[in-house]
Amino acid sequence: MTNSSNPLRLEYGRAIDGLRVVRQPAPVGAASFSATYVGPAGSGFDPPGEEGIARLVNQLMTVAAGRYRRIELARRLDRAGALLSHETSPEAGEVTIWGPAGDWKSLVGLLGEVVRSPRFDPDDIARLQRQFLERQMRERTQPASRADLEMLHAIYPRGHPYRSTGLGDRRSITRLPRQRLIRFHRDHYTSDGGLLVVTTAAPLSAVEEAAMDVFAGFSAAKGPRLRVPTLGRTAPQRRTIPLAGRSQVEIRLGGPSIPQSAPEYVGAYLANEVLGGRPLLSRLFQRVRERNGLAYHSSSHLETMRFGGIWSARAGTGADRWRRVVPMLVQEVERLRRETVPLRELNTIRKSAIGEVPLALESTAEAHELAVDVSYHGLAEDYLVRWPARLRAVTPADVREAARSAFDRNHSVTVVAGPVDPR
Amino acid sequence: MARTAVPRPPLRRFRLANGLSVVLAPIPASPTVSVWVWYRVGSKNEHPGITGASHWVEHMLFQGSPRYGKGEIDRSVVSVGGELNAFTDTDFTAYFSTVPHEHLRIPLDIESDRMTRALISDVEVDRERTVIHSEREGNENWPEFRVEEELYQLAFRVHSYRWEVLGRRTDIERLTAEQLREYYHRFYGTRNAVLVVAGAFDPRAVARDVRRRFSALPRSGGDVTVPEVEPPATGERRAELSGPGTTPFLQIGWRSPALRDAETPATMVIDTILGGEARLFAAGSGWGRSGEHPSSRLHRALVDTALAVRATSEWRPREYPGLFTVQAQAAKGISLDRLEEAIDAVLSRLIRSGPSKKELDDLRAKVRRGAALAYEGATRIGFRLGYFSTIRSLEYEEELFRSLLRVGAAEVQERARQLFVPQSRVVVRYTPTGGSDDE
Repeated sequence: MTNSSNPLRLEYGRAIDGLRVVRQPAPVGAASFSATYVGPAGSGFDPPGEEGIARLVNQLMTVAAGRYRRIELARRLDRAGALLSHETSPEAGEVTIWGPAGDWKSLVGLLGEVVRSPRFDPDDIARLQRQFLERQMRERTQPASRADLEMLHAIYPRGHPYRSTGLGDRRSITRLPRQRLIRFHRDHYTSDGGLLVVTTAAPLSAVEEAAMDVFAGFSAAKGPRLRVPTLGRTAPQRRTIPLAGRSQVEIRLGGPSIPQSAPEYVGAYLANEVLGGRPLLSRLFQRVRERNGLAYHSSSHLETMRFGGIWSARAGTGADRWRRVVPMLVQEVERLRRETVPLRELNTIRKSAIGEVPLALESTAEAHELAVDVSYHGLAEDYLVRWPARLRAVTPADVREAARSAFDRNHSVTVVAGPVDPR
Repeated sequence: MARTAVPRPPLRRFRLANGLSVVLAPIPASPTVSVWVWYRVGSKNEHPGITGASHWVEHMLFQGSPRYGKGEIDRSVVSVGGELNAFTDTDFTAYFSTVPHEHLRIPLDIESDRMTRALISDVEVDRERTVIHSEREGNENWPEFRVEEELYQLAFRVHSYRWEVLGRRTDIERLTAEQLREYYHRFYGTRNAVLVVAGAFDPRAVARDVRRRFSALPRSGGDVTVPEVEPPATGERRAELSGPGTTPFLQIGWRSPALRDAETPATMVIDTILGGEARLFAAGSGWGRSGEHPSSRLHRALVDTALAVRATSEWRPREYPGLFTVQAQAAKGISLDRLEEAIDAVLSRLIRSGPSKKELDDLRAKVRRGAALAYEGATRIGFRLGYFSTIRSLEYEEELFRSLLRVGAAEVQERARQLFVPQSRVVVRYTPTGGSDDE
């Protein structure tokens, strides 16, 4: 595999008015391509009283744009065999197009139209507002989403960019006029601070040319920067949310974590894999499900962003079993922070993490996700190539130290949501 | 090799003397190899008292076999970076492992070991009981699950499609290890299985390896035909459920043809026109998508008009006659009566006027484009080859594809007239209790 055909080796191209352009070689023989625009447009930018605006704008962009009203855009995509998707994280708003490899250029053009010229038609706004209201209700009444929401609310104070799930509340969503959505789009979907990643077999020069055709003169606005305040000192908290009539109790134990750029990131990544991130092999899965048969799912997650992160250990179990599961989550997090991971266990996890790299290259869509992540964080072009070596360099002591830093217990919270007795 | 309209990789197919069907799909450039075993066994083969047995056996096939102790199946695959999982349906159960291509030996060894010799010990069955309870409880948290379970229970009185794949709560509590072993030994075996290997490998060497490992297994797997025939429906059936939730929700079902029936392509077209999803030929299957299809009839009639926040249809062709369903979640303040009326109006229009030329043109373009992108990645290829081999035959994919492109407006209209009849209609309505705390 040459450098220009290895999907693990990205190619950074010429920026356009601050918009970074990245090409990822498509997996050999891939029938599809993918392209993503990422802008400084995450839910962390929601102004007070306008919570939900970032996610609403992000979703509306994929509904109707430029010359395409909603149904025309859907037909255009269907006829091309293409899909548009959107994702809003606390830091960024993303729009992705996926479709036949041979049509990549015209579909990048369509992505450009979507990013540059969303229509924000009043009917579309009203429809999405109705859907947001229902999703807000769902978020509050479903044990899993309610537990996630409560965890964020307990960890982060009001106004913190990582506090929200992006759906806003009834008042904020219904009060957003079209003009505000247009302004938010103008200020946050910018060249400066933006990123375009294209996974294709076409060469970088062709990607640069297509990007120039689509995004030249896109936006003169300066991309906004997210302000992330430092958390004050606090102690572990506990929240119990009774939701009558549900069958399963959802448990979250979580707290703030490190940013992706932290020097201990790779150690923290492996610490999370040991705890609950690696399917089937992890301590939480083994202890809660395999040895004790207490839950169908039990895992941990570490989400590292540019300015901070969030960790969580989680499980879903019955109303008669959750009291046994909560201490197991706490003990396993504490054990990871306190004790050095045996080398043999670490090596098993490490071997698995290194071995899975080829699986991410099975399809364009999977490979593309990696490329977007690496480019968003501004990592080196060969970061994915060197990823196995980085993993190999981590020692058990590194993992313990990283766990102490990444699995912050001082600001942590335990949330139990579902058919529980609040006492 | 014959050229196919659906661009799948070249295949090598054979059947062993013990009845096992084998499909090899070499993809030289693939970084991985995916091994699938599909059994033509599912919840259709259960009976009251052992509902959920197929799903439970699925769990137990990860819990030990002669060469793999508890946890070793997972460990063997995941420790080399692979992934593995399984799923159970009404008509089949499928197991897969995808690994970096140099580790192909591992999944082949596992599948040959557990195909007829899974241990299913008393201790592990008991331990797994709470895990399965927990899986069911997780699903019960969703009103949609409860409504669908009720819908099938109401629609079928004789056929085994009347219970959910996870099984009834009471059966999960009582099923014994002995019953599971008996069920496993009765149905799981070479005659009811399809082995698919897709990815980078030498087909001749792997064919030899497959013969060596699997030919030694006994010819096994009993008759999986379901003898019970559901009598024709004689009138509308309805049920009302209530529980926690957001806004009222309803699902309506009608008796639908079986996969082998001639009406299958036209019924699939109706599903795509009403709900928008091209299902077996959808672009980007496996790709996360919103599920919204703004150009579909239900979306336009219910969501655009502020009656519902979601509305769609679903028809999955099954081995035996099943249900075609329509479901909608009301917008705040809209009654389920109003929603039902709107759905009826959509269906009446289809019966009265059929689909438009534009709708059929769009559908054909969608199916062609979806098929062109259907085979990407060893895991997805393994799924697709196994699915079609199991539900009917590999040739059927091509046949279905061509039939879908040929279906005309009159045929769709006639099919809609036969499908949406009041006497086979089943309605389950879900009303949320209490208020949500969002205000």
